Amino acid sequence: MHLRTRHVLNRAFTGLGYVATSIMAGALLVLLVPIFVRGAGAIVFRGTVEFRRYLFEQEGRGDREAVHNEIAHARAARAPVYAMLAEAEKEIATAPLTRQRELRSALAELRDAIRELLGPDPGQRTPVLLRQQYGQTRWDRALVKLHEVLYTETWDYSDPSGMGRKVYVPRAEAFTGLGVTALFPYVETHLSAMLRPRLTLYWGFLTDDSRDAHFFGGIMPELLGTFYLTVGAMLIAIPLGVLTAIYLAEYAGDNMAVRFLRSCMSTLAGVPSIVFGLFGLAFFINTLHVSHSKSVLAGSLTLALLVLPTVIRASEEAIRAVPHTYREAALSLGASTWRTVCTVVLPAALPGILTGIVISMGRAAGETAPIIFTAAVSVGVPLKLWEVFNHPTPALSWNIYNVSTEHEAVDEIRHVQFGMVCVLVGLVLLLNLTAIMLRARIARKLKG
Amino acid sequence: MKYGVVGGIVALSVGVIHLFASQQTTIVLDGSTTVGPLAKAFAEHFMQQHPGVKITVSESGSGNGAKSLINGTCHIATMSRAMKPEEVAAAAEKGVKAVAHVVAIDALPVLVHPSNPLTNLTLAQVKDIYLGKITNWKELGGPDVRIVKISRDTNSGTYECFEELVMKKEKMADDVEYVGSNGAVRQRVMTTPAAIGYAGLAFVDKKVKAISINGVAPCAETARNKTYPIARPLYMYTNGEPPQGSLLEQFVNFYKTAKGREITEAIGFVPVN
Repeated sequence: MHLRTRHVLNRAFTGLGYVATSIMAGALLVLLVPIFVRGAGAIVFRGTVEFRRYLFEQEGRGDREAVHNEIAHARAARAPVYAMLAEAEKEIATAPLTRQRELRSALAELRDAIRELLGPDPGQRTPVLLRQQYGQTRWDRALVKLHEVLYTETWDYSDPSGMGRKVYVPRAEAFTGLGVTALFPYVETHLSAMLRPRLTLYWGFLTDDSRDAHFFGGIMPELLGTFYLTVGAMLIAIPLGVLTAIYLAEYAGDNMAVRFLRSCMSTLAGVPSIVFGLFGLAFFINTLHVSHSKSVLAGSLTLALLVLPTVIRASEEAIRAVPHTYREAALSLGASTWRTVCTVVLPAALPGILTGIVISMGRAAGETAPIIFTAAVSVGVPLKLWEVFNHPTPALSWNIYNVSTEHEAVDEIRHVQFGMVCVLVGLVLLLNLTAIMLRARIARKLKG
Repeated sequence: MKYGVVGGIVALSVGVIHLFASQQTTIVLDGSTTVGPLAKAFAEHFMQQHPGVKITVSESGSGNGAKSLINGTCHIATMSRAMKPEEVAAAAEKGVKAVAHVVAIDALPVLVHPSNPLTNLTLAQVKDIYLGKITNWKELGGPDVRIVKISRDTNSGTYECFEELVMKKEKMADDVEYVGSNGAVRQRVMTTPAAIGYAGLAFVDKKVKAISINGVAPCAETARNKTYPIARPLYMYTNGEPPQGSLLEQFVNFYKTAKGREITEAIGFVPVN
């Protein structure tokens, strides 16, 4: 081949590599940036006075005086709204009878919309559900609710051949001729005074329990559950996996039995995770009765099985990569095989083993299917360490699914969903980063 | 000697586990996604009243709830249908006596996208849609769009209830889309203009349109007086009558308390008398 052609081909190949890498990086950015930006919204957001009232009343946080002061200001700003509503009530009573019914139902709807925005009416008995005790705690949600106060969503079905079209009708139109029409411009212009939004940093999202099915509070039980499950799985998988790897790399010969064992492990690595989940339920819970219900223990055992092939494979490769001269040197000094493995081979193989372990940790933290039937629940409190043997727990991976599909009000708690995803992805990234750093550090030490 | 130590450790850890297990301060609920919101709210308020009690709620479907109760892995199976005779028999075989507690009444609104001009269907029409006999909204006086049928999965009590009350045990068409929870049905209908689905009362809001059946709109009132044709009780099943005064007994009877009734209503279900 011509030298020129070779050069051109070479360049083309390099270029292709660049393109592939930049596409990858781009895809990663497209994936990660929204996750972190939207996820950060769970912690940093414009919180309203309702949020601070919630924190003060439910969690006992915040300065009493300041909160009370703020509530008083907000009340003052809201007073005209309720005055207008009360006025409307009187006006309707004097309206023509034919119109009264329609006006009453419109007013009831308006009251509901305002209640969603600002919380219960003054003087109203405290509702039982927390979500009804407070108005919108987040400014972004408040703007959505403001729109619902100002407009009713109706559907125009005038085109008989097609689907209806969404039409927003100003709510004021239903009240033409009544004084309450002044309420709408007032709410629109004074919303900020009524809710007093302020940039809020809510670390409690990470450290608080969930309140009222994730309408309020944070994700501590999920975070802790994921932590327990992951650590538990690794406590079981690491000794088992590393010992197996040592056996396979240092002791096992090349016979039928060992080859069979290896192909079994490869198969295990390819088994879908939901199968592990069902196996965990059938074996650990229903047969062995490791706990009387779903539990962190059962979940950890199942996850351990799931990551075992990865741990074994990575450790075995790492052990095999240790130069033979190391072993020969140790053996020539009179060390036994076991001693050689423990003092010479394992330390040298440590970076590789650690990488395998940490990558498996990331996998264990993120898996959902294996814990559905063995450990995860949608509501639970944070567990104490000794409770892991017989208590189920919420966990990030499963609860992300739960709050974004099964929950009764998925649209109201988008920030929790984004927040949970962000925390889980962050956690896995952090684990992988730790792996890289540990590896680099130990490798440097071994060299020096 | 070695074995003695290992045996001792095993015996000790088993003992420790059983010690914790024997203290009845935990209540494990498993089952229906319909009862889920109610169970979660009950659990939270009950835990506030009884500090130190731990209640966990799983939403995996009524069928799974029944299985868990039969296998002894939960204290309460929340179900949106009654236990089937097979399940009761399977429970009896394992020494589990399934006792039902009706905690609320629910209606099953039939949901369509708000852009769908239809407001009323007969029960027979809904059945024909799911049987695949009616495949286009045009046939019902709507726009010319193919109907997308959404149903709960067959593990669900909501599905069984629909199958009994609407389908009259006839098999649904092959092109029905099955989804895993009430919330998922709602979301699927919300985002699909041609869709039809069904879910519990607690899951219905303005983003989906609950149409009238035989001229009756689904709501708490029509579910209570049984004029709405697709209504059903919601259950909590326990293994035997829970002992008087026990936490479990207090919890399964929480629906009778003033607070319990208020929560039931606030969530969107109908309290039972």
